[in-house]
Amino acid sequence: MIGQIKMFSMKNVASVTLRSLVYVAMGLTAISLLGILSYILFNGVKAFKWSLIFGKFSSANPSMSFSIVTTCVMILLTLLIAVPISIFCAVYLTEYAKRKNIFVNWIRLATETLAGIPSIVFGLFGAIFFGTVMGFGYSILTGCLTVAIMLLPVIIRQTEEAVKSVPDMYREGSYGLGASKLRTVFRIVLPSAMPGILSAVILSMGRIIGETAALIFTLGTVAQLPGGLLDSSRTLAVHMYISTRDGGAAGREVAFLTGAVLIVVILCMNIGASYIGGKVGKDFEN
Amino acid sequence: MKKVLLAVLGAGLILGAFTGCGKKGDDVNGEGGKQREITVISREESSGTRGAFDELMKITDGKTNMLFREAVIVSSTDEAASKVEVDKFAIGYTSLGSVTSKVKALTIDGVVPNEENVKNGSYKIARPFVLAVKIGSGNQLAKDFLKFVSSQSGQAVVSKAGYITVDAAADYTPAKLSGKLTLSGSTSVEKVIQKLKEEYEGLNPGAKLEINYNGSSAGIKDCLADKSDVAMSSRELKAEEKDQITGTTFALDGIAVIVNQSNEVSNMTEDLVTKIFKGEARFWNDVQ
Amino acid sequence: MAKDIKEIREKGAEYFFLLCSLVSIGAVLLICYFIFAGAYPALRDIGAWAFLTGDLWKPTDHPPSFGIFNMIAGSIYVTAGACIFGVPVGVFAAVYMAKYCPRKIYPVASQLVSLLAGIPSIIYGFFGMMMIVPFIQENFSGNGNSVLAASIVLGVMILPTVIKVSEVSIRAVPKSYFEGALALGATKEQSIFFVGIPAAKSGILAGVILGIGRAIGETMAVVMVAGNSNILPESIFKSVRTLTANIVLEMGYAAGPHYDAIVATGAVLFVFILMLNIVLNIINKGAQTSGGLS
Repeated sequence: MIGQIKMFSMKNVASVTLRSLVYVAMGLTAISLLGILSYILFNGVKAFKWSLIFGKFSSANPSMSFSIVTTCVMILLTLLIAVPISIFCAVYLTEYAKRKNIFVNWIRLATETLAGIPSIVFGLFGAIFFGTVMGFGYSILTGCLTVAIMLLPVIIRQTEEAVKSVPDMYREGSYGLGASKLRTVFRIVLPSAMPGILSAVILSMGRIIGETAALIFTLGTVAQLPGGLLDSSRTLAVHMYISTRDGGAAGREVAFLTGAVLIVVILCMNIGASYIGGKVGKDFEN
Repeated sequence: MKKVLLAVLGAGLILGAFTGCGKKGDDVNGEGGKQREITVISREESSGTRGAFDELMKITDGKTNMLFREAVIVSSTDEAASKVEVDKFAIGYTSLGSVTSKVKALTIDGVVPNEENVKNGSYKIARPFVLAVKIGSGNQLAKDFLKFVSSQSGQAVVSKAGYITVDAAADYTPAKLSGKLTLSGSTSVEKVIQKLKEEYEGLNPGAKLEINYNGSSAGIKDCLADKSDVAMSSRELKAEEKDQITGTTFALDGIAVIVNQSNEVSNMTEDLVTKIFKGEARFWNDVQ
Repeated sequence: MAKDIKEIREKGAEYFFLLCSLVSIGAVLLICYFIFAGAYPALRDIGAWAFLTGDLWKPTDHPPSFGIFNMIAGSIYVTAGACIFGVPVGVFAAVYMAKYCPRKIYPVASQLVSLLAGIPSIIYGFFGMMMIVPFIQENFSGNGNSVLAASIVLGVMILPTVIKVSEVSIRAVPKSYFEGALALGATKEQSIFFVGIPAAKSGILAGVILGIGRAIGETMAVVMVAGNSNILPESIFKSVRTLTANIVLEMGYAAGPHYDAIVATGAVLFVFILMLNIVLNIINKGAQTSGGLS
């Protein structure tokens, strides 16, 4: 008995408090997420109508169909610009650059800076540079170029990690067989790092889908199926924003439904990314 | 154990999320409610709706804007309506065409804000919707679209969209022109211009209208810079703008002063509205 | 001869890779140039000091006033608020992830944190507008559009950043630290909070700074819940306008000097972010030299 009472000394009270705080903190995190998810999904399901997803956009049926297409086009074009540049940059940093290379520090500083810049500043820059100076106006092209710059640091960093985690013996084996450096990079290093790169790509798709602030002033807000690169349109997130802003009561429903669709898509992408990313980890353990 | 705890906490929050807002705070009409501050909701300063409202309600003297400094600023009239819908102590204004059943439009000096009263001039808080083109512009498609919106068939669309018509010109016969016409400007005209666009594109299958909503002033700026063909404005053109563009008024829109459904105030004098928006009347008990 | 071609190809590839790497440097330079060049006319005409310390923002008055002092303060307030909510919860949750989470739950928990990071900010804003703002109005004072509402929303939004980075740095603390503490009779909690966290503190600090960067730059969520009045809020229940909100609200409408002033607002925000980056760099350098995190 006495021993048990002694257990409740100050030391243990502090420990128990700390431990419960740890659980409370994780609980709060989970609760905030589940609260937001269930609120949007609940209302999204309530507003669910096939015509709002696949129907033709009109004032009577503010459907999201056109913005699904725009979102896909945006993802494709943006990745087309950002992924090769980022991968080559990561390859340069890990495979080619010497440790004391002056460029390396500058490149790292630049990617870190890019990573920290808020999307609204990217939006401002995109509107000024691509929109006005280059003359692309509100268009898919302006939007893609702007978002592509935003994604550079994300993909570069993750690709670098993936490339670094390719064991050196792979490279040595390749060199030993007489392969050139270039061949080693493309035939050995990049394929081995592919799962990591893929998961980076999927995560950046999530970024593109979720982006709003950088797109309003670059991609614009026209409700139409884009006919070309210089046309303006809306991605799903922009459609959701404009619907809450200008859509009235019907717009609210569309916003909920669009939000629900966004959440489902992002959930799938996250799971996909961690599945692919997790596989690479296991491969290397073996 | 942890899982159970988490599940309970989670369920609690979700329940809270859905019922929390149902909890009755002090009512706007009750004793406590009268002491509550009025939530003034307005738009950002360069919006067309705000410009028209401020001018009509004398919140600006043309030089200095005297809006209550603590007013909540929203980026569209619909957002204003959403805020009023969830805030029992709010007052805001929105386009008459976007008043829903979820908010209450006040009568001003006893005059009901409706189509008839705006048209005959007894409801004074109203502004025109204007489509403007650059003077000397030779854009045939723009001309034809303007002809359409002021025709009888165009005005029928305006009326169906819940806005107030202007006197219609002769009837419109589709010119069957084709090409792309870009419009930009006021967010407030979205509901009516979208319907006009659909009707027009139906009549002229070759024509394609691209509409960007970025605000009246920006729309006029775009038009002057040849970034767009037609500017949409939700306020009268300013004198200096009239030197370079010509406007066609295609609809009138009343601006309704809205409060929460549960608010028992249903009439205000123009003077009182001005006082509230200037921050001179701060509490609902000042209002009676 | 064949060897020459091969060499050229190898060299060419290297330069091509280098060129791709220089894109990010080019992008940063372009952004700096266009933001600051765009801001220059406003700063010249209004005066940098008047612009930064003026408390009136009346773009349509004659003559107009452009002062962003209240917005700078507003950005700092909501960011500080976000830290008050987000940092303790984030750090404790990171401890859970690193030290308490059972193997089976870990994938779910970590998925949860990534999802929190992946939700578009517009959804946070929408949720805040429909739920948190009315909640604050009913249960506290004011109209709900407030520093508090913005802080809560931002607090949740910075959680994933703080959790991820802190978790990694707690995991990086050598096992022997904890074992040593336990061997000396410390409880598990003591070993974590008095040995592990101090050892991981520079990593945690880096996470917090990244979180601050996210909070100060957040736009769409804040603009929907903060109220956006241009005042210096005297309580957490008062409305507030941040730098980002000022840009997104007025950018579309602005013309002439007003437009320049908006770009200048962006430039001020940019400077804030650059300063945070410098601090982050110093912290990371410190961590590297003291043998902590890489």
